[in-house]
Amino acid sequence: MKLSRILVMAWESMKQRKLRTSLTTLGVVIGITAVIGLASLGEGFRLEIRERMQQGFELDNLTIIPGSLFAGLSRERFTDQDIQNISKISGVKAATQVMQIGNVTLYNPDKDKTVQAFVATAVNFTEFVQVFPGRFTFENGTLPEQDRNDSVVIGYKVNYPTENDTTPFAVTNDTIILTLGVFVQQPYPHLEPRNYNFTVAGTLEKRGTPGITNFDYWIFIPLETARKIYDTLESDLIFVKVYDPEESERIADDIEGLFPPYKVTILVPLTFIRQVDGILTIVQLFLMAIASISLLVAGIGIMNIMTVSVMERTREIGILKAIGAKSRTVLTLFLSEAVLIGVIGGLIGVLTGYGLSFGLAYALSGFMQPQHQQDTIFQTPETQRIAIRPAFSVGWTVIAFVFAVAVCIIFGLYPARKAAKLDPVEALRYE
Amino acid sequence: MVTILEVHGVKKSYRMGKLLVPALRGVSFNAEEGEFLTIFGPSGSGKSTLLHLIGCLDRPDEGEILIDGSDVLKLSDDKLAELRLTKIGFVFQFFNLLPRLSALRNVELPLTIAGVSERETSERAKEMLKLVGLEARMNHRPSELSGGEQQRVAMARALINNPKIVLADEPTGNLDTKTGWEIVQLMKKLNEEKGQTFVVVTHDPQIAETADRLIHLKDGLIEGIKEAPRGSSQ
Repeated sequence: MKLSRILVMAWESMKQRKLRTSLTTLGVVIGITAVIGLASLGEGFRLEIRERMQQGFELDNLTIIPGSLFAGLSRERFTDQDIQNISKISGVKAATQVMQIGNVTLYNPDKDKTVQAFVATAVNFTEFVQVFPGRFTFENGTLPEQDRNDSVVIGYKVNYPTENDTTPFAVTNDTIILTLGVFVQQPYPHLEPRNYNFTVAGTLEKRGTPGITNFDYWIFIPLETARKIYDTLESDLIFVKVYDPEESERIADDIEGLFPPYKVTILVPLTFIRQVDGILTIVQLFLMAIASISLLVAGIGIMNIMTVSVMERTREIGILKAIGAKSRTVLTLFLSEAVLIGVIGGLIGVLTGYGLSFGLAYALSGFMQPQHQQDTIFQTPETQRIAIRPAFSVGWTVIAFVFAVAVCIIFGLYPARKAAKLDPVEALRYE
Repeated sequence: MVTILEVHGVKKSYRMGKLLVPALRGVSFNAEEGEFLTIFGPSGSGKSTLLHLIGCLDRPDEGEILIDGSDVLKLSDDKLAELRLTKIGFVFQFFNLLPRLSALRNVELPLTIAGVSERETSERAKEMLKLVGLEARMNHRPSELSGGEQQRVAMARALINNPKIVLADEPTGNLDTKTGWEIVQLMKKLNEEKGQTFVVVTHDPQIAETADRLIHLKDGLIEGIKEAPRGSSQ
């Protein structure tokens, strides 16, 4: 018997039992809706987080911190030699070292204003902009000239400490006084505040945060100046820019190899993002596994209905066999009904699933808005609104659809085999 | 005369709980091409069992059945199905039409199963319905047809594949006397026109008597075979 004719017969027989067929199909629809809905929502959530983290982290930047998070705090600091060694590693585009000086007070005598900066970062400006290109966007002023050793660049949040500040703490060419804590041994070891005059070379625009380096709260002074003040040639952090982010893990290994074990910690954004991505994928699969249970329930519904149907149609099966239908034909006939239910339920379910994911995304996005907008480490101004957009993955759709049809076939197989195995004489006698 | 059906020493028992109930206890006979044969006997004599065995719906415990030369016992289930499809036509007491299909679709069914093209199937089915005088009602469902009409549809279905043998199991058992006779007349007519072998099971002696040959079955054994005088039914 031709498959097309079998399908037509199966379809007609389903039409004969409209209510029953639609209820059975509804089970599949609900199952697929749940799977697709959660899959596309989960995928959207994962992509949203990934995008946010990619904005938050510069993937081609590695940060090298002295000491290990796991093996004590033997903080040996970095030297010029370390920078030279790192620069030689293949795939490294640029490397720069910085000194960080904590809790700096800035005083502008012209305006008689005092502000605090979390960190004064002493940098080689030429090297530094190679590692962080495009990060210095000036409200006014420019990068300091190379030969000047009293320049300072001020971050946005230092210049405007509160939301209410409309006038800046300082503008270009203002001379300001920086109070830095300098370590002194006599008469007892302590930090002695000392004042130094600096000239403002530029002030930065608000940028928010890419990564762990929030320039908004920083000020920048020349590295050479800091070295003189602190009488040292060692530095606190090394930033490395790589050509290809995909290579960043290999390069991190190479850099680690330059130092004795546990002497440095390297922050590789790619690794972090990969781990978070991996966790979110597991969560997504977990959600889908739960949703799949509803598909199994639908499958049992199909099995139940088809078993009843085979009993009701025993005589029909007997007639078909008596006039020459093979067991295989009867099997195919009943399986076709299951497959049709799976295909129809699957198609409708895919559509309603996407509908559901839109609805859920809309509802969840409303819940998830932060009550008090704050600049936190993961929020740049552009991405402060959380909006989950359902992601339609062709792969997941195909998998879910195939799964639906497969469930229908698997659960339809038992009743269909039962029908095919019926003894024609018995079946014809069945009342 | 070509022998189309050979039955040799056929035995068949059914298990009812722990009891083995013999239905046929050694039955042998032949049927020739174009012959109109009736199997007559009281209920429980094994008529239907014999018909099921000839119709390849079941296999004998012992003995041999040859249909158009092929030994039924040696065929696989699929081959038996093929034999039923191509060489045997069935007519049942309760018509056994598929209730959700129209008369035409019911008649088409064997050709549909055989995989014949839709156009040819439809043409041949219409022809068959015309032959049994039902072309005007071909789009009606069985529930919209009278018993006699349903049995005519069943006859058209049995004959559409041009089978060698048509088997009828109490074809008039569910009809009133007048309609029953009409059906018998129709079978006789088709038998004469198309030359197919008819084996009709009945417990009605009047109908049994119309045959070329009457096989009297009792308690699973042939009690007698009565041949009609040559020419009397022709």
